[in-house]
Amino acid sequence: MGAAEDLARILGRDKVVAEEAIVRLYSREPSGLAAGELPEAVVFPESAGDASRLMAYAYRHGVRVYPQGSTTSLSGSSVPEGGVVVSMERMDSVREVSVVDSIAVAEAGVRIDELNALLAGRGYMFPVDPASASVATVGGAVNSGAGGMRGAKYGTMRDWVLGLQVVLADRDGTVMRVGCRTVKCRQGYDLVRLIVGSEGTLALVTEAVLRITPLPENVVTALAFFPGLGELAGAAVAVKEAGVQPYIMEFMDEETTRAAAEFTGAGFEAEGAMLLVSVDVNREATERAARWLSETMRRAGAASVYTARSMGEAEEKGLFAVRRAFLPAQGYVAERRGMRRHMVYIEDVAVPPSRLVEAVEEISRLGDEYGLLHFMGGHIGDGNLHPSVVFDPSSPGEAERVEEWFLEVMKVAIRLGGTVSSEHGIGTLKKKGLEMELEALGAGKALGIMAEIKRAFDPKGILNPGKVV
Amino acid sequence: MEEARRMIISEAAKCTYCGFCEAVCPTARLGPHRGYGPRGRLAVAAHLASGGAASPEALASIYSCLTCRACTLKCPQGIDVAEVVKAARSLYVSGLARPRVSFTVKPRR
Repeated sequence: MGAAEDLARILGRDKVVAEEAIVRLYSREPSGLAAGELPEAVVFPESAGDASRLMAYAYRHGVRVYPQGSTTSLSGSSVPEGGVVVSMERMDSVREVSVVDSIAVAEAGVRIDELNALLAGRGYMFPVDPASASVATVGGAVNSGAGGMRGAKYGTMRDWVLGLQVVLADRDGTVMRVGCRTVKCRQGYDLVRLIVGSEGTLALVTEAVLRITPLPENVVTALAFFPGLGELAGAAVAVKEAGVQPYIMEFMDEETTRAAAEFTGAGFEAEGAMLLVSVDVNREATERAARWLSETMRRAGAASVYTARSMGEAEEKGLFAVRRAFLPAQGYVAERRGMRRHMVYIEDVAVPPSRLVEAVEEISRLGDEYGLLHFMGGHIGDGNLHPSVVFDPSSPGEAERVEEWFLEVMKVAIRLGGTVSSEHGIGTLKKKGLEMELEALGAGKALGIMAEIKRAFDPKGILNPGKVV
Repeated sequence: MEEARRMIISEAAKCTYCGFCEAVCPTARLGPHRGYGPRGRLAVAAHLASGGAASPEALASIYSCLTCRACTLKCPQGIDVAEVVKAARSLYVSGLARPRVSFTVKPRR
């Protein structure tokens, strides 16, 4: 008998789906990658007990297990290859919110925006905000080590996960809690942080103890357009040198800004490279901060500046719309150019913010050299860049050129003291990049150590095999 | 019908699978799997239009859509999933998507 039939018997028929049309829905991700070999079934645990029975079965029978949240991954980390997919979507309860302890305990399938809607009622938030937060899940964010627009101020998942409940890939499908419910926690080796960002390769995450933080009293925003990247970077430096840690600081180069403004039909002049800066303030400081932001942008050479004195006003004026159009605008340009089919490849390197202009210029030059339709934007506050290319995968030689470009972009990041993956993960797409980065650091042994850790957690190699190491 | 089939396949090909549609779909969170959300329905419709078997869960996916178009407002590609769903239903009732099977649209809770 097959795993699908066995698991249906063990867990209940309604928790296992083996119809091809549905299994296919769990076999691809937005990176454009898809399974070569279709999984046998999708399994939907509804409790840690279900997850435990599943893992015990998988261990005993050597069945590969591919955990998934909402499959918004861009690195190949959620693509299965045979085996069974474990979708955590039915484990979607927020178990506890404690303002006094500053924690929320959420099951893996809770969407980040749903958690934030709940927390907002208490005046709190979970600050990690990947662009996909409307559907991205807590479990997926834990596994991918997600970041977001607020990264420069608040960091990424590794800074906000205090504890985890996981199921191990062993004979009993052991359910294990690691970490604490307190910020201070010295529990020997830090297994929580090892599992955060492990892309489902070490243990099946079923629940997380997350830190939460008060919502800012008010947020002031400036959207500024600069004649060149040099002036734009100067503005970002001026903000930092003034001792201000922005809530959000995002940029896009001139051509990407033009495409995004056209796509959104922005009601203001969007000429030049775009810088979007939001600063959290006390309500009484609103006016002063807004004026200061506007003046700082102008002094750095901004040709036009638009400000908003609250998040509501920023939304009404469409100040975030241009930045949000970063991705859809690329599809729009591809269609207008008459590309029959197109794929968007998004890079995720980071460099120290002081090297950002160099990185942007080099990466743009690479895009031209390779003759690709390329775009550039990212989180200037933390140096995380999302250069991307739009291409037609059916056009001969195009995919190979993109792959070469991809490698060259990672080399630029490494050379400038950066990293090949900031928040999207390694998956299958960045394994080569990870190797290059570790070699450049003189950490050739690190990969071997990682492989040993993988074996300690998952001796049979059944958890999301083929990813990371 | 040939036109409906072509329309389904070309619309589904535009989907980047970002899943943003699932945040606003009224049925996505109620169903037992991803087939009860827009990106799932697009892929299921393309499966049927390309000659894939009309299985019970695939049909439940197509028939659980309320055609409210909330997803289209969120879709970066502006895909009209409701039109695709209607076309897929027409393929099925006209007998082009086979076999005839009994299916239930069932909420998970």
